[in-house]
Amino acid sequence: MQPSIRPGPWTRRDFLKLAGTYAACGGLGGLGALARPAEAQPSPVHLNFMVWSYGIETIQDNIKSFQQRNPAITVSLQDTSWFNYHDAMATKFATGDAPDVAYSSDHWLREWVAADWIAPLDRYAPELAGAQGEWAPYARQGMTLGGHLYGLPYYADLIIFMYNAKTLKRAGFDHPPATWEELAAQAKTIKDKGLSEYPIDIPLKKDDPWTIEIFYSMVYSRGGHMFDNADAPVFNAPGGKAVLALDWLRDALRNKILDPAVLESAEPDVVKTMGAGQHVFTVLAKYNLAELNAGQHAQKGNFRMALMPGDSHSTVGFVRFYALTKAAVTRHHTEAAARFLQYFGGKTDGRYLVPQRWALEKGLGFAQLPLYDDPQIKAAINAWGSVALERQQAKLAAVKEGLTPWWGTWDVYAREQIGNVIVGNVSSQQAIKNMAAKWSELK
Amino acid sequence: MSTPLGLRRAVLWRARRAGASPAYHALTVIPVLLLVGLFTLFPLGYAAITSTRRVLLTLPGSTPFIGLRNYAQVLHDGTTHVAVTNTLLFAALTVPSVIVVGFLVALLLHQPIRGFGLLRALVLLPWSIPLVSAGIIWRLLLHGDFGALNGLLYQLGVVHSYVPWLSSPRLAMQAVALAHVWREFPLPAILILAGLQVIPREIMEAATAEGAGAWARFWHILLPWLKGPLLIILVYETMISVSVFDLVYVLTGGGPGSATTLFSWHTYTSTFTFLNLGHGAALSFIMAGALVAFIALTLRLIRVEARSA
Repeated sequence: MQPSIRPGPWTRRDFLKLAGTYAACGGLGGLGALARPAEAQPSPVHLNFMVWSYGIETIQDNIKSFQQRNPAITVSLQDTSWFNYHDAMATKFATGDAPDVAYSSDHWLREWVAADWIAPLDRYAPELAGAQGEWAPYARQGMTLGGHLYGLPYYADLIIFMYNAKTLKRAGFDHPPATWEELAAQAKTIKDKGLSEYPIDIPLKKDDPWTIEIFYSMVYSRGGHMFDNADAPVFNAPGGKAVLALDWLRDALRNKILDPAVLESAEPDVVKTMGAGQHVFTVLAKYNLAELNAGQHAQKGNFRMALMPGDSHSTVGFVRFYALTKAAVTRHHTEAAARFLQYFGGKTDGRYLVPQRWALEKGLGFAQLPLYDDPQIKAAINAWGSVALERQQAKLAAVKEGLTPWWGTWDVYAREQIGNVIVGNVSSQQAIKNMAAKWSELK
Repeated sequence: MSTPLGLRRAVLWRARRAGASPAYHALTVIPVLLLVGLFTLFPLGYAAITSTRRVLLTLPGSTPFIGLRNYAQVLHDGTTHVAVTNTLLFAALTVPSVIVVGFLVALLLHQPIRGFGLLRALVLLPWSIPLVSAGIIWRLLLHGDFGALNGLLYQLGVVHSYVPWLSSPRLAMQAVALAHVWREFPLPAILILAGLQVIPREIMEAATAEGAGAWARFWHILLPWLKGPLLIILVYETMISVSVFDLVYVLTGGGPGSATTLFSWHTYTSTFTFLNLGHGAALSFIMAGALVAFIALTLRLIRVEARSA
C-alpha cells in the first residue's frame, strides 16, 4: 500500500516555521539588495512603427530580433500600400495618430519637414548621424535637408533598364539598346518577328509614385535636367529633354511597341507580365531584377540589366529611409526610437544586420557602401544581376531635382500630365508648359 | 413586496408622470443632441471654418482667415472644371443605367417562376460586397494585360488583342460606370420589386382582358404606380453617383490622365495628397450644396406630383 500523500492538518507551529523562513529569505534578499549597487531598470516603452506593405514577414522577424535584444522596448507594426502611403501618413499625422518611427522617402522629405512631422536625427539622436560617411552620396543627400539628417537608410536603389536577354537574342540582337531610338528600333523588330506584341512595358500608373522617378530617369539618361540648383524648372527650356521623353512615350504607344496598358500598370503588374514573357524591355527599380530572375516566373533567369539608354546613361538614385517622428519626441520615446533606428538602419555589433538581410533575401539596394565588399552580398547580387554594372550605373546616378516642400503636390500633377500626353489629350509641349505653370503656382 | 406586474405598472406610472414635465423631455433629448452635435454639427462647423482659412499642412501654425478665397480658387481651377464635367458625365451614364437595369431585373424577378425566391436573395450580392473589394474584383477582370475579361473575349475571338479598358480615357470612364452599375442595381431592383408586388393583380388582369398590350400596361399602370419609389431611387442614385469615390480609388486613381477624375476624387486629392485642407473643405461644401439643391428640387417635384395625384 502506498503511503498517503495527503498532508496532515496545519498546526500553529507549522505556520510560524514557514512564516519565519519566508521572513528570513526576504530579509536576506533585502540585505543583498542593500549590498548591491542599484541596477537601473529601463522603463518599458512601446513604439509604433509604420511601413508600406513590402516584406512584412521579414520586418516582423527583424522586430522580433530587436525586441530580444531590447526587452524593455515593444514594437507594434502597421502597414499600408505603397500607393496610398503618403495620403495615409498625412491623415495619421494630421489627426494626431502619428507613429513613433516610419518609413519615408526622399519624395516627401521636404514636405514632412515643412509640416513638422519628422525630427532631425542629428539633434535628437546625434549618435545615429555618425555613420553618414559610409553612405552613398545620393542616399545621404536624399535624407538631408538644411544641413540636418532626417533618417537612416532602409534601402537605396537605382532606376535601371532591364531586358529579356533570351528574347533579344532570338530577335537577332547581340547587345541591349544604348539609346532610346535604338530601343524603339529593336522593339519594332521584335514585334515584327512576332516575339512580343508590345515589347516595351513601363509602369506609368497615375497613382504609382514610381512613375515620376521613371520619368526623371528618362530625362536624365538623355542628358537632361528637371530643375536647376535654385529649384527653378529647366525641363521647359527650349529643346529640353523632357519634351523628347514625352514624345518618345507617345510615339511608342502610337507605334504599338509600348503596352497600351501602361497607364493602368503599376510596378507589380509589370513584374508579372515581364516574368510571364509578355514584354521584353522595361524600366524599374533595380531590386525587381532580383525578383524577376529568382522569383517564380516563366522567364526566370533570362533578365539582365543594362545602362539606361541615352546619351548620358544617367538615372535616378533614390533612398527610402526610417524617420523619427516629432510625435515620438513629444511622447519621450526618442531614446527607444533611436535604438530601433540604430538596429534597423545602422550597425549592430559592427555589422549592418538588417540592410544586409534585405540585400541578401530580397535584392534590395543599400546605401551603406561597405556592404559592397561583403563577399556574401557580392555573390548574391551576381546570382541575379551584376555588381560591376550596378556600380557603373550608380556612378551615373543622381538624386531627384527640385525636391521642395511643394514637390509632392507637383509630382501628382506631373504624373497626370504624363498620362494626358500618352493618351493624346494634350501635346508634350503643352503638358510641359502646364507642369511649369503648376510649379510657379505652387511656389 | 411588489409583484412583477405591480412593478411594471409603477414604472409606467412614473414614466407617464415624468413625461409630462419639460425636464423629462429635455433629459431624454440631450443625449441625442450631444451625439448629433459631436458627430455632425461640430465637424460641419469645423469644416466651414476650415473652408474660410488657408490650411496647408505644409505650413503648420499659420491658418489665416481668407474669406471665400478658397472657394474662388477651386472654382477657377482647371481640374475642378474637368472633375465637374466628368462627374456629370458619370452620373448621366450611371443613374439611368442603374434604374433601367434595376427595373428589368425587378420585372424578371416578379415572374411567378420556381427558384426565383433564391434568385431574389442572390441579386443582392453585389450590393453586399464592400466597394473596395468590388473595385479590386473589377480591376482584376478589366486589367489590360491580364484581365479575365480580355482572356475570355480573346478566346472567343471577339477581340484580336487585349483591350486596355482602364488605360483608354473613354473606356476607363465606361469601365468605372459599368462597375458602378453592377454594384448599385440590386437596391433599385428590390425596391421596384416591392413596388410591383403591391399593384393589385386585378388591375393588370382587367387591363389584359380589355386588350391592353405589354407597353400599354407598363406605361399606364406600372409606371404611375411606381412613380414614388422611382423618384426616391433617382434621388438616392444621383447622390451616390455624384459622390462615388471608392471605385475610382481602386480602379483608376482618377486616370488615365484626368479621364476619371470625379469631384469626390478631386476633393480627396486636394485634401490628402496636396495637403490643402482649405481647398478640400471648400470643395466638400460645394458638392454638399449642389446635392442639397438637387434633393430639394426633387422633393418639391415629388410634392407637386403627390398634390396633383
